[in-house]
Amino acid sequence: MVALVAERDAEALEAIYERYGKASYSLARRIVADETLAQDVVQEVFLSLWRDAHRFDAGRGTVATYLLSMTHHRAVDVVRREENLRRRRTGDDALEFEPDPKAGVEAEVLAAERRSEVRAALATLPAAQREALLLAYFGGYTQREVASLVGVPLGTVKTRMAAGMRKLRDALSEPGREEQRPWTRR
Amino acid sequence: MDQTMSHAEFEQLAAGYVLGALEPDDEQLFRRHLDGCAICESSVRELEEVAGSLAYAVPSVEPPAALRTSILRGVGATARPRAVLNLRRRPSLTLVNRLAVAASILVLFALGFWNMSLRNQNNLYQQRVAAFEQAGRLLNDPSTQVVRLEGDAAKGGARVVVMASSQQGKGALIVEGLAAPPSGKVYELWGIPKGAGLDQAVPARVFRGSGKGVVPLYFELPVQPDMTYGVTEEPGPNGSQRPTQRPILVGSPATRA
Repeated sequence: MVALVAERDAEALEAIYERYGKASYSLARRIVADETLAQDVVQEVFLSLWRDAHRFDAGRGTVATYLLSMTHHRAVDVVRREENLRRRRTGDDALEFEPDPKAGVEAEVLAAERRSEVRAALATLPAAQREALLLAYFGGYTQREVASLVGVPLGTVKTRMAAGMRKLRDALSEPGREEQRPWTRR
Repeated sequence: MDQTMSHAEFEQLAAGYVLGALEPDDEQLFRRHLDGCAICESSVRELEEVAGSLAYAVPSVEPPAALRTSILRGVGATARPRAVLNLRRRPSLTLVNRLAVAASILVLFALGFWNMSLRNQNNLYQQRVAAFEQAGRLLNDPSTQVVRLEGDAAKGGARVVVMASSQQGKGALIVEGLAAPPSGKVYELWGIPKGAGLDQAVPARVFRGSGKGVVPLYFELPVQPDMTYGVTEEPGPNGSQRPTQRPILVGSPATRA
């Protein structure tokens, strides 16, 4: 599909947007906490895929990972640029459950399944590791900023993030989970 | 951090790197190390997937429809055209304004078929305005009948509609989503006078599929009121004088009360 985008096939880009636009928008919105800025982020992400589709390396990861990673980077850039957008919430705030009234039943069930899996995996982490990951990922804080917010040395934050990501990886790749991780397969 | 960092320390930075949370100096060091360390490269790939999955922890929010529109508008100018239309003339826009209100309902009907592919492609758009105008003139004619063709091809998702004017002796075929005919064949449209058999069918024109887009095709034919229309597959490139097989698509005007 991305190969078609590289050949300037607008329908292929539209299909990719159909599939991942919502996840990208939801993530951007959570990070920048502003509807208009989130739209700008998502638009930049998809237009950059359009311009540079040849850079996507299927051997390196899935389209979902590629797009969400771009979304994350750009959203974090925006947040860092516009410091006042940053909300000093703890990472756990990100996990408030708000069902989406507009989503179809099936899509909502699927999204809820993914959500509950990731949350379940996050729940296996010690609170300090989870907090470090969520502040960095959703808050856009650097390791030093997390250290200062939480009141621990920088080295401790580095250790917590590394251990947290390893543990999360293990929790998400438990045997039997593979089929339930639609975002890892195109 | 400096160049004396151990490999274990670099490995520890991989998590912060994929989360975009490294301090600038750490990030620079890690990038330099990454370029040549297969272990860290593999670790980063793995952790990128994990970071990607974090995105799904938040409730999903439906993006506004305007976002999709503006993305597609953004790519429109550099997109490869989807279909090539063989319209010969491009009449002036003023004629569009002259379309009668009565015809506009039917025009909207025809537009419904076209609408799906009218997206952000200015050239294509202009061509379609011209096609719209031609179809509009046809629809404006009180003698024009609109006939939807049904059959096996339509079950596959193709939509084909004939509009034909007995007064003008011409018509248009609006084809959408019809796959190309088998190799060496063409599609052929026939007009079959009311009550006549297939052996009295009059050839209207040959054509190929429309692909995913919508293509208006014009034809001239001694159109008679309440004619039946059929499409057959015939040997290419010129088709046949008489149908050589049963129609794959056929339709007659709805019986009037």
